[in-house]
Parts: sequence; structure tokens; C-alpha cells
Amino acid sequence: MSTKHTKAADRFIANKAQEVWHNQTLRFVRDKRDNMAMQLPEWETLRETAHQIKMHTITHLDHYLNEFSMHAEANGVLVHWAKDADEHNQIVYSILQSHGVKKLVKSKSMLTEECHLNPFLIEKGIDVVESDLGERILQLMHKAPSHIVMPAIHLKRQDVGRLFETKLNTEKDNSDPTYLTQAARVHLRQEFLTAGAAMTGANFGVASTGDVVVCTNEGNADMGTALSPLHIISMGMEKVIPDLKSLAVFIRLLARSATGQPVTAYTSHYRKPREGSEMHLVIVDNGRSNMLGNEDHLQTLKCIRCGACMNTCPVYRRSGGYSYTYFIPGPIGINLGMSRSPEKYSDNLSACSLCYSCNNVCPVKIDLADQIYKWRQKLDSFGKADPAKKNLSVGMAFLFKRPVLFQTGLKMAPVINRMPRFFVYNGLNDWGKGREMPHFAIHSFAALWKKGKISGANQKKKNAES
Amino acid sequence: MQSRKEELLERIRTKIRVTCDMPDLLIDSITFPDRVAQFKVMLQAVGGEAIELVQGENMQELICSRFPESKIIASNLPEISFATINPDQVDDPHELAYIDLAIIRGEIGVAENACIWIPQMMKERVVCFIAEYLVVLLERSALVNNMHEAYEQISFHDKEFGVFISGPSKTADIEQALVIGAHGAKGVLVILT
Ligand code: SF4
Repeated sequence: MSTKHTKAADRFIANKAQEVWHNQTLRFVRDKRDNMAMQLPEWETLRETAHQIKMHTITHLDHYLNEFSMHAEANGVLVHWAKDADEHNQIVYSILQSHGVKKLVKSKSMLTEECHLNPFLIEKGIDVVESDLGERILQLMHKAPSHIVMPAIHLKRQDVGRLFETKLNTEKDNSDPTYLTQAARVHLRQEFLTAGAAMTGANFGVASTGDVVVCTNEGNADMGTALSPLHIISMGMEKVIPDLKSLAVFIRLLARSATGQPVTAYTSHYRKPREGSEMHLVIVDNGRSNMLGNEDHLQTLKCIRCGACMNTCPVYRRSGGYSYTYFIPGPIGINLGMSRSPEKYSDNLSACSLCYSCNNVCPVKIDLADQIYKWRQKLDSFGKADPAKKNLSVGMAFLFKRPVLFQTGLKMAPVINRMPRFFVYNGLNDWGKGREMPHFAIHSFAALWKKGKISGANQKKKNAES
Repeated sequence: MQSRKEELLERIRTKIRVTCDMPDLLIDSITFPDRVAQFKVMLQAVGGEAIELVQGENMQELICSRFPESKIIASNLPEISFATINPDQVDDPHELAYIDLAIIRGEIGVAENACIWIPQMMKERVVCFIAEYLVVLLERSALVNNMHEAYEQISFHDKEFGVFISGPSKTADIEQALVIGAHGAKGVLVILT
């Protein structure tokens, strides 16, 4: 059975060169992340701590949101509460209207994407300018982001070059990234200087101080908010954390996980409105409180939107962000979509091989693959289950929970290597369709480990003997 | 009538099933035998540069020699007498639109990632972002090992804003090719005093 995801993935991989490039580029980002993680002996402690802080905060969310909003108000910030996307959009529009704003510059915000704020405001006659370079490129193309941290990751430089030729009057056939970035800098500088309001998202809201923290590499959030007389912040209610000490943990994890940088160039803490200006904060529910009540899927609320689960996902890397039907792709997007509407977004559940790589890189240790597995078990209830895969999934879970059987299974796996291709790719094996089956090693890893053929095991043995 | 805030908080209360404890935040974190050296290496890695002011060296001459082309120079620091515009004395931040160089002071430097903590010590903070090049003065003794130590020290209760800056503005949004100078400073020079 093919889903909307598999069909879209087919179209993506039809362009072999693009598929290879996309896969390698994201793999490279994953490698950079690994490199950063390995430089910190406390990396795993940080992840575990981040997970625990988030679990604590989301299970005391009423308390922390109250504390956060009281501090923000004491700082002179005007706080608004929105139960859903419509309410959020209305609030933003009425703030803009009361200030007579014609042009709004925005820095990247997945929440405003979730609420479809831009089309709403544009229809009301407001000039909305995205200022993150990737977002601006996509806005000029009338396209959506294909990745939550690297929105234009699916585009080639020539695509951007051609776009800027018509939109920004750049030289013909010049697709040098430095040249194009400079052109965008000049163009967006004018937008910053002429905007009536600036809008940002929020990476973190610090309850003990009321600070809103935004991380960028480009400096666009600060350029906008330091110039215009009005700053509007759109923040999902799960973004609150207890205090600055907790913030230290997340800041250490975020950029390392996201892009493999030690930190973003700017980590901005907005506390009070700038002299002579107004600062508004819109705290948004839009389905988040519902997720709190679902123990199986509660952990998605821990997400800090780093994108690491996409970069590592073999399916995302080879099918691209647009192959998913929810606006956030990859493992976290599959789960967020299902939490929003299982009926609408269940096609994305097929975009997972249960390799568990996402669980292992997620800086806040979200049980992404487990959740996908659980959703698959519930597919029946939406009448969407694929009988062949259902059996396979159940079988795999059965094996994963029984290590002895699992190991026997892997020892026998080399048998597959000797099977004629027909048996492996016979159309009955749904996992072989569109996938090259893994070539199983002659000696399983576990066997080699036990035999001491792997250096780590040798080393351990030696240590034990000495 | 219940406010929207009360309604949403109440909704959250009814949804919470389990509660989890706050963990201990005492994390045994990385430290460096030579924080100055580590800071320099990290700043270079993120596209900036740190130099140490040697005793007897004139700071202003040093800055001038590094930025000979800069004409419009913004600073509110008393030790910088060659500034042409003062971010404390403009009526509107837009007056700072075309500055070549800004000179500011940082409060804390972080060895693990080359972050410098800059609380808003000027009227118009746009000066930190809009200048083509940025010079940050930082005392060697203000270098800490990691972000935990940095946040331990941060308090800016009477300030509007504070930012950690780590190197120049950058982007890799076009084909993952790193380009320095997206919207903010195209270069960051840190002078360790
Ligand atoms: S689920 Fe984890 S890895 Fe994925 S974006 Fe969220 S925090 Fe990052």
C-alpha cells in the first residue's frame, strides 16, 4: 500500500542527483553534530538533564506559565493568551492595526507557520517580510520551508541565483552563495530600516525572569527588534523553562544538535520593551494542552526544534521535507502531525524504518520512534492499517523486546545474502520495495564483540584481566 | 468572567496526569587549563578573532590600524575618544544605520563556545548588530569555562536586553555554503585586556 508520503518520495528520488546531494548534505550536518557531542564528556548527562527539566516543566506547565507571564508583565511586556491559531492571528493583527503598521519584518518562527499567520496578514493588506535568508528565499518563491532549521535545504544555488535575478536584480548566471547573500543583505537591510514592527518566535521563555530567548546565526531577530517601535513575540506554551540555570543546559545542546556549531552567533534575551517601544507576547495553546493529556505522546512537548532528528533520519534524507503532509517533516513532524489529527496526517507514519536513530540524537531524548510505533498500532482505529506491514511491525517489536531471539535472528540474517534476488525483491516483501535490503554481515556484531574481535571488547577484557 | 489566561491554565491543570521532579543541575562540565587559549581557538572557529592587548600598547591605535577604512565609528565607551557617533545620544536608532565600526564592552567571555555576554549598556542596542564590523573589549579575567558558569554570573535586572554574541553574523542557507556577514557584523574582533 502506498501512502502520500511514499508517492511523494518516489517523485523526489526520481531525480537521483538531487536525492544523493540531499542525503549527503544532511548526513554531513549529522556528522558535525556528532563531532560536537564527542567533544563534551558530559554530553549524555546534558541530554538526560534536558529531558528531565522538560518533563518537569511540562508536567507543571500551569505553574511555570503563570510565573513566566507575571514576570514578563512586571517587566512591562504586554501578555496575550491565544487558545488557537485563529485567536493568535487576530491578536497579532489587532496589535499591528492599533499601531498603524504597514510593514512587518519577521524572524523565523515555526509557530507562525503553524498558525498560517503570513497569508492571514497579507490578505489584510500588511506587507510581511521574512528576514531569515532561507525563509526569505522561500517566501519570494511562494514555497514553504522543507526543514525546520535549514528551510531551503532542498534548493541548489542555481535556483536561488535565478530567483534573485528576477526579484533582486542580481547579475545573470551568478549563483555564488557569497554574492547572493550580500545581495539579500542589502535588500533586507532596507526592509529592516523601513518596517513598522518586528516579530520573532521564542526558543525559550524563562519563568524566573520573564526573559524571552531567541537564537539566530544571522542576527535578523535583533536587527528587526532593535530598530522598530513594536516587537511582537509568538510563543508556544511549551517553550517555558524554569530559570537561567536550566537555560544553560538547553543553550549548550541546541546549536550543537541543530547545525553542529558550538553555539549560534546570537543568543538574545529580551526582557523589557526598548525605551519608547512596545513589546507584546502572545502565548499560544493551539492543541498543546491536549497533548499534555496523552501519556503515550506527551513527550513531543519537550521538543526544542533543533532538527537533529531530520538530519539523521534515513527516510527524511532521501525523500525531502516536501514528501510529508504535515508542515514539520521528519520524525518529530510525523508525531506532531499525528497529535494534531491522526485522520489527516497518518500517511506520514510510513516514513519511518524504526531505526531509532532519531531517539539517539534527540537532545531532549524524545521517544520519537516508539511513538511512531505506537501510532502504527492504532492505525486500525482510523482504518488505515496496511496488513502486511502491520505484521512486520509487530514482529519487530516482539524481537526488540526479546534480545535472545533478536540475536539469533541476526545470526541467521546472512542467509538472506545468499538468497536469489527474486526471493528478496519478489513484490511480496513490502520492505524490499523501493529499498535496497541491507547486506547482512557474515559475522554479527554481537558475535564479534563476544569473540573479542572488536577492539573495544579486547580492551575491556585486558582491563578486566589486569 | 474567567480570563483567557485562567481558562488555559485551568485546561492545563485538568490535562496533567503525571508529575515529574526537577533534576539536579549540578553538571560536572568541561573546563580548560588555559581559558584564553581555548577562547581564541573557538572564536577563530566561528569566524572571529581575539587578540591580547600587550602592556603599554595603545588600544585606540590598535583599533585604527585594524580598521583603517572605517569612517563612521560608534561607541559610548569613555576610553574611545575617536568615535564619531554615540549610541546614547541619538534620538532614533535609525540614525545608526550606516556605521562602519562599533566598539562595545563585553562582561563575560565563555571559553567553550566563544560567547561574549553583552548586557545592554547603551541607549540604542542596534549598534551591536548594524555595524559592518564589531570590536568587543573584554577583560581576560572575565573568561569562564562554560555556559553554566556564565549563567551563574548573569544578572541584568534593570536592563532591557542582553545578548551572547559568538563571532560574526553568518548563514549557510544557500546550499549549506558558509557565508560570513548575513545581517549583522561581517567581522568581530575581541580585544582581551
Ligand atoms: S524531536 Fe528532538 S531532535 Fe527532533 S527537532 Fe525536536 S528536539 Fe530536535
